[in-house]
Amino acid sequence: MPGGKGATTGTSVADGQAAGGPVGAAPPGLLDRKDLLQLLDRAVAKRLTVISAPPGSGKTSLLRTWADHATKLRRVAFVSVERDQQNEQRFWCGVLDAVREPANPVTSAAPATAPAVDQVIGSVLAELAEHAGPVVLIIDDLHELRSADALTQLEYFLANLPGNARVVLSSRRDPPIRLHQLRLADEIAEIRAGDLRFTEAETRELLAGSRIGLSSDAMAALHQRTEGWAAGLRLAVISLTGHPEPERFVAEFSGNDRAIGEYLMAEMLDRQPGEIRRMLLRTSVVNRMNGELADLLTGRAGAEQMLLALEEANAFVVSLDAQRTWFRYHQLLADFLRLELRRTAADEVPGLHRRAARWFADRGEVVEAVRHTVAAGDWPDAARIVADHSFRWVLEGQAATIRTVLQAFPAGAAADHPDLALAHAAAELNQGRTEEAAAQLALAESHLQSGPPARRRRAVAIASLRLALARRSGRFSEVIDLVKMLDASMADTSGERPAVGSELRVVALLNLGIVETWTGRLIEAERHLSDAATLAQEIGRPYLEVACRAHQGFPSKTVSVTAARERGREAVALAERHGLGDHPIIAPALGAVGGMAIWMGEFDEGERWLRRAWEVGSAHVEPATAVLLHLANGMLQAARGRQRSALDAFTAAARTQSLLTGAHALAPRIAGWLATTQARLGMAAEARATLAAFSPEPGRASAIANARAWMCLLDRNPGMALEALHGIRNATPPTEPYSLVEAHLLAGNAHLRSGDRDAAAAAAEAALTAAEPDRLVFPFALTEAAELLDVLRHHETAHRALLADIADQLRGESAPGADREPPPHSDELTPSELRVLGYLPTNLTRAEIAHELHVSIHTVNTHIRNIYAKLGAGDRSVAVQRARQLRLLSNRLSPTSPNHLRSVRPRPAP
Amino acid sequence: MAAPSSLYTIRIRGRLGATALSAFPTMEAELDGDETVLTGPLQDQSAVFGVVAQIEALGLELVELRRIRPTPPQT
Repeated sequence: MPGGKGATTGTSVADGQAAGGPVGAAPPGLLDRKDLLQLLDRAVAKRLTVISAPPGSGKTSLLRTWADHATKLRRVAFVSVERDQQNEQRFWCGVLDAVREPANPVTSAAPATAPAVDQVIGSVLAELAEHAGPVVLIIDDLHELRSADALTQLEYFLANLPGNARVVLSSRRDPPIRLHQLRLADEIAEIRAGDLRFTEAETRELLAGSRIGLSSDAMAALHQRTEGWAAGLRLAVISLTGHPEPERFVAEFSGNDRAIGEYLMAEMLDRQPGEIRRMLLRTSVVNRMNGELADLLTGRAGAEQMLLALEEANAFVVSLDAQRTWFRYHQLLADFLRLELRRTAADEVPGLHRRAARWFADRGEVVEAVRHTVAAGDWPDAARIVADHSFRWVLEGQAATIRTVLQAFPAGAAADHPDLALAHAAAELNQGRTEEAAAQLALAESHLQSGPPARRRRAVAIASLRLALARRSGRFSEVIDLVKMLDASMADTSGERPAVGSELRVVALLNLGIVETWTGRLIEAERHLSDAATLAQEIGRPYLEVACRAHQGFPSKTVSVTAARERGREAVALAERHGLGDHPIIAPALGAVGGMAIWMGEFDEGERWLRRAWEVGSAHVEPATAVLLHLANGMLQAARGRQRSALDAFTAAARTQSLLTGAHALAPRIAGWLATTQARLGMAAEARATLAAFSPEPGRASAIANARAWMCLLDRNPGMALEALHGIRNATPPTEPYSLVEAHLLAGNAHLRSGDRDAAAAAAEAALTAAEPDRLVFPFALTEAAELLDVLRHHETAHRALLADIADQLRGESAPGADREPPPHSDELTPSELRVLGYLPTNLTRAEIAHELHVSIHTVNTHIRNIYAKLGAGDRSVAVQRARQLRLLSNRLSPTSPNHLRSVRPRPAP
Repeated sequence: MAAPSSLYTIRIRGRLGATALSAFPTMEAELDGDETVLTGPLQDQSAVFGVVAQIEALGLELVELRRIRPTPPQT
C-alpha cells in the first residue's frame, strides 16, 4: 500500500512480479543491455557496488532489469529512497520491508509507533544472515536520503554485512559515506556515467526495437548528439514513435545547440495530446498519485488510463505497486513539469496544492496534507493542521511523525506561527530537551491567551504537555498542583465533548500516578494508574493504557514481589499486542521486572530484562526511569561481586537522581549502596561524604543505617555495627523486608566477627524469615552471606529449602567450578568462541554481538554455529543452559552492564 | 538583515530554453557559443548549492561555476 506507507518504497522482486514488465522482454525504450548486465553481474562479486551517475543515466532501468534476471540465481531485495527522505527510521523500515521474505511481510497497517532504528538495522542484518543463499540488497536513489544519521548508520550496516549478502547503492552523486575499509579490502565495484552510456550499437538496437526507421547517418547523429545518455535516447524514442518525419526530427535536434534534456522533454510534452499534457503538468505538484487524485488535480476523469498508457510506453511514468494503482514521474520529468507548470500557469499552482492537501487530509495522511498546505503558501492553515493533530500524536506516542511534519516548515517558523509551538514542545520533550520544550510550551500558552477563542483540545494538549514536562523534569510537586488545577477546571466544563474530558483525565491520572510511583506513594499510585488504564482502554487509547500499566510493576504493601513481576510482564505483553513493545514508555516495566528478578536471585534473567529496558529506552528514557535502571544494574554487579562496576552504576543512579527536582523513592537505597560500595572499595572518605550529603526523610532511613553498619564492619567495629542496626531490626511495625533482610545479615556478620555464633545463627534465621515470603535472595549475595549461612548447618532452621537454594546461588555466582567436575568440553571451545559465548545469555542480536566484538556478523555466525555443534545445542537457550552446566559462562561473562553497550572503551575484566 | 550577496557566473552546456531558465529567476542568461552563462547574485553557500542541485535535477551539464566578486554592502 504505497498510498499509506509514505516515505520509502520497498519492493521485493524475488518473485519477479514487481519490477516493470515480464522477465526477458524489455518494454519499448528499454533495452536488455547484455554487456551492462554482465558488468553488474561481475560487480556484485564484491560486497558493495556503487552506481554513481547523473539523472537519466539509466541506473534504475538497469537495476530493475538486472533484478529480474538475477532472481533466478539469488534473492534480490529492492528499495527506492523516496524523495527528500529525512527520516532515518522510515528509511530503515523500508529496507527491512524489502529484505523480509515475501512469506512474512510486515506491511500491515503502520504500527502506532515505529521501533528504534538500531533494532531495525539489527533486524535487517539478521534477515540477510538468515537467508540460506546469496542475497543482494539494492538501494536506489540514495541521493534522496537527507538524514546524516541514516548515512552514518549505512556505514555501520555495510561494515557488518553478513558474508552471503551484497549491496548495490545507486545515486546521482558519489555517496557521502566512508568506505575506506571496504576499499582497502578491494570489496567495492564502481559503475559510473561512462559505463552506463549507450554504445552506438545499442542505440541502433534500441531504435530498431521501437520500430523506428532511421537512416544510418541519422542514427549516428542521434547517438552523437545524446552522447548515449539514456534519458535523452528514451525521450527521443518517444518523440520519434509515430513521428511523420523522423529524419527531420533528428536533423533539427542534432543541428541546434539547446540543452539536450530540456529540448527533448519539451519536444515530448509538445507531442502529447492536450489532455495528457494538461494532466502531466497539473499532477506534477504531487510526489505520487493514483487515478482519483490525478483526476481531482486535472479536473476531469480518465487520468488512470493515461498513466497506465504512459507507463506502458515507458514515458517516464513509474507505477509504485504491483496492482499499478499508484504512480510517480521519473524525477527528471517531474522537475521539468513543475517548472513548466510554474512558468505557464503559475496562478494555478497554489490551488492545485490546496486540492492535494485536502485530498490527503481526508485520507488521514496528515504529513502530506501539511506539506501541500505549506507549498500552497497557506502557512497559518498548515500550522493549524499540525496543532490540531499534535494532541493525538502526543497521546499516541508518535514523536517521529511530529518531527517529520515539522520539517515541512523552515527553521524558526514557530515564532511566526505559535500553533507550531505545541508540536515543537512535544518533539523537544520527546528528545529530553526540557528547557527547549518549556520555552515552546510557554509560547504556545501565550498564544492561547492572546489569540482567538481557544480551542478546547489545544488547551488540553498544552495541559498534558505541561504535566509531562513537569514529570520528566522531576518537579513532582508541580505535577500534583497541575492535576489539582485540572480537576477544578474539568469540574466546570460540563458541556465539553466527553471524549476530550476523558483523554485529559487519563493524562492527568497517568502523570499523577507516575509521580506517586517515583515518590514512593504506591498505594495512591496504584489507584490512579488503574483508573487511568481502565479509562484509557475504554476510550481506545492504547498508548496511554500501556504507559499506565508500565508503571505498575512495583511491589508495595498490597502487592507482592511475585505479583509485581507478573504485572510488569503483563504490561510488556500488552505493549507488544499494541505494537509498542519497543517504545521507550515500556522501559519502567522492563526495569521493574528485571529488578524484581534480581531481588529474587535470578541474576541472568534480571540482566536480560534490564538490557531490553536500556534498548527500548535508548536516549529517550526518562530520568526517573533511568534511576531505576542504573540502580538495578548496580545491584546486579554487586551481587556478582563486581564492586567496580557496581560503583559506576550506583554513581550513575545518584547522578541521574540529582537531575530531578523532587526526591526519588529509591534515593535512600542509592545513597546507602553507593556509600557501601565506596567503603568496600576502600574509599572511606567518599563513603562518609555520600552519607553526609544525604538526609533521608523520616521513616526512610533504613538503607542509610545499613550503610553505616557496613562501614562499621569494614572498620572492624562489630559492636557499633550492631548498634546502627538495632533500630531497623526491632522496629514496630517491622521495617520493609528489603532493608530488613540486609540488616539481619549484617548483624549476623557482626556477631560472627565477635565470635557469637549463636547470635549469628539467630540473625541468619531472622534474615531467612524476612526473605522467605518474597524469596529475597539478593541481600544474601550482596553481603556474601555464605560463611554466615554455614553456621546454620549446626542449628535448626525453618527455611531449609530456601537456605539450600541460596547456598546454591551463592556458590554459582562466586566460586565457579570450584566444587564441580571439570567441564568435559571446555577446552574444545576456542578463545574467540568463548568470547561470543559470553554474549549468548544476553538479549543482543547476532548483529549487535558482532558490533560489540568489532567483527563481522559472518564471523559471529560461524562461531555460534561451532558453539552449538560443540555443546550439542540446537538453539541459543539450550546452548546457554549447557554452557552454564559446564561452567563455561559464569567466570567469563563480560558484557553485563547496560553501560557496556554504550561505552566505547573496553571494560576491564571483573 | 540579509547578508551581502556575491555575484556568480555559472556556465552550462547547451542553450537553455524558457522552462529551464525559469528555474533560475534571479540570474541573467547569456549565450556564449553553445554554452549558456548565467550571471547573478547568490546570497550564500546554501543558495549556490541550491542552484547546483537545480542544474543536476534538470539533467543539465555544469561546465563552470565561479564567484566574480562580493557585492559591496548596500548603504
